[in-house]
Amino acid sequence: MKNPIFDIENWREIGATLARNKTRTFLTAFGIFWGTAMLAMLWGGAHGMEGMLRRNFAGFTTNFGAIFPNTTSVSYHGFNKGMTWQMTQSDIDAIRRITPYIEYSTTLIDREGTIVYGSNSTSATIAGYEPDFAKINLAVVYSGRVFNKADEARTAKVAVIGKDLAATLFGNDDPLGKYVSANGVFVRIIGVIGQLSNASIGTRYDSSLIMPSSTFRNIFNYGNKVGFFMYTAAPGHSPKEIETYIRRVICANHPISPDDDKAMWFMDISEDFKMLDTLFLGVSLLALFVGTGSLMAGIIGIGNIMWIIVKERTQEIGIRRAIGAKPRDIITQILCEGVALTSIAGLAGVSFATIVLAIADKLTADPVLGSANFTLTFTQALAIVITFLILGTAAGTLPAIKAMHIKPIEAMRDK
Amino acid sequence: MIIRLKDINKTYPGVVPLHVLKDINLDIDRGELVAIMGASGSGKSTLLNILGILDNYDSGEYYLDYVLIKNLSENKAAELRNRMIGFVFQSFNLISYKNAIENVALPLFYQGVSRRQRNRLAMEQLERMGLADRAHHLPGELSGGQKQRVAIARALITNPSIILADEPTGALDSTTSRDVMQLFRQLNDDGMTIVIVTHDPNVGAATNRIIRISDGRIETPQPITV
Repeated sequence: MKNPIFDIENWREIGATLARNKTRTFLTAFGIFWGTAMLAMLWGGAHGMEGMLRRNFAGFTTNFGAIFPNTTSVSYHGFNKGMTWQMTQSDIDAIRRITPYIEYSTTLIDREGTIVYGSNSTSATIAGYEPDFAKINLAVVYSGRVFNKADEARTAKVAVIGKDLAATLFGNDDPLGKYVSANGVFVRIIGVIGQLSNASIGTRYDSSLIMPSSTFRNIFNYGNKVGFFMYTAAPGHSPKEIETYIRRVICANHPISPDDDKAMWFMDISEDFKMLDTLFLGVSLLALFVGTGSLMAGIIGIGNIMWIIVKERTQEIGIRRAIGAKPRDIITQILCEGVALTSIAGLAGVSFATIVLAIADKLTADPVLGSANFTLTFTQALAIVITFLILGTAAGTLPAIKAMHIKPIEAMRDK
Repeated sequence: MIIRLKDINKTYPGVVPLHVLKDINLDIDRGELVAIMGASGSGKSTLLNILGILDNYDSGEYYLDYVLIKNLSENKAAELRNRMIGFVFQSFNLISYKNAIENVALPLFYQGVSRRQRNRLAMEQLERMGLADRAHHLPGELSGGQKQRVAIARALITNPSIILADEPTGALDSTTSRDVMQLFRQLNDDGMTIVIVTHDPNVGAATNRIIRISDGRIETPQPITV
């Protein structure tokens, strides 16, 4: 006998059987369609949810840490507890000299001030940063450039302006090359920047005027004062490892007890991100769990329908066998019907889910941050269809094999 | 000798084993029109199932067209049923969602005959039954007599060695019954061997030989008196 897969007669027979039993075919197909679509939407949906959460932190370096001065909690070296201390540039120089794992770092110092351009004036945050700041908390450069090491070294009177602040002061004019007054001192605008991430540490770029830290200290007479210090750990290291070095420098330079763990406040964002990763893992596991559940429900549904179909067809199977169908012919027929139905309905389900996901992706897309990735990979789609194909067909074939054990004469009598 | 049964025994196992066929010996020649008659429970249905290779027997020998039918695999049995036996059932047993021509053509599907060839042969058989205009009707749209003629067409399409009919008139009224019996006689005149299982004396009377079976044994043959 010919291989049934390549036998056009066999497929014609199957096509005719499926087409003549419209309700039955539709119900089975719909069950498979719904099962695959739900699973695909759930999977892609979880992916998108994670994307939506994660993009809030886009451009935010995750191995990031910072140190803030705080009041002491232990009396030391003749000083009472409750003392405040000031971080200075020499602390920073010492930290940079002895700490091996720092990738990028910047000091930060800021104040409120009045910014004037022409007849427009507004109060805003004025901040002094070192040039690497834009590599720690990524900035979007809309025009011009960010100041560099040369600007920092020669205390250049230049600044980058946040896009919201630029809009307030300049309206539709181009701020590049223009001079603004910051508390009476004129600085030249060399770039317009904005936040990439919704999360920020320190200054919000959008509404600030940011200049090199040397310039800031020079203009506002800050001496060698530093507000706080931000850094990222080199690849393979955590901000936690850097803390030890910083603590050593600060305790050496200031009358602070080595046992005082309140005098310095360390921010270690990587710990928070680890928690977030755990959360995402939880969401994925939940999606997987619910997905497996809906998969099971789908398979049981298909199996149930198939069972009823085979039961309903016991007489037909009996007739076919009496007139000469071999057991293999019957099993092949039911198997092929299952495969044909599952592949078509399964592909339709996955396609439908893809459309729904594409719409969700479009609706949640952010102009700056882009899509949240409500998507299904090709492998995932294939996995869903193949799983349904195997399990669904098996669920249909088992009752058919069982029906083979009924003698044709008894099957025909079955009403 | 198209059918030869030698000392056939059949027992249904159970708490009280049922010995339904006891040393059955039976010969049927090619071209005969035979009725097997008996009360219900006499074993005539079991005998028909054995003749139709739908059931097996415990001891003895059954030759169908000189082929020993014994302990066959389901595949071999299906193949022999397909090529050598045409079945006609009391309840017609047509597939409800297939039209007349598809039902008639179905046995050829399992022989791997092409669709065009199948439909041509099926149409020939339907024409022979006078049902050419009903070829594309579903069984539900046909009368009882028409359904039985479609079933007979299906039985004939593989050109089998014998036709086995199980109460072929059981679901038909008397006029239609006479027509169907007329058809069987006509087929027999054309050379077809036909075995009919029935409990209807009128059907029996329309055949050429009656084999009476009671309590699992064949009664001594009696000449038919018309």
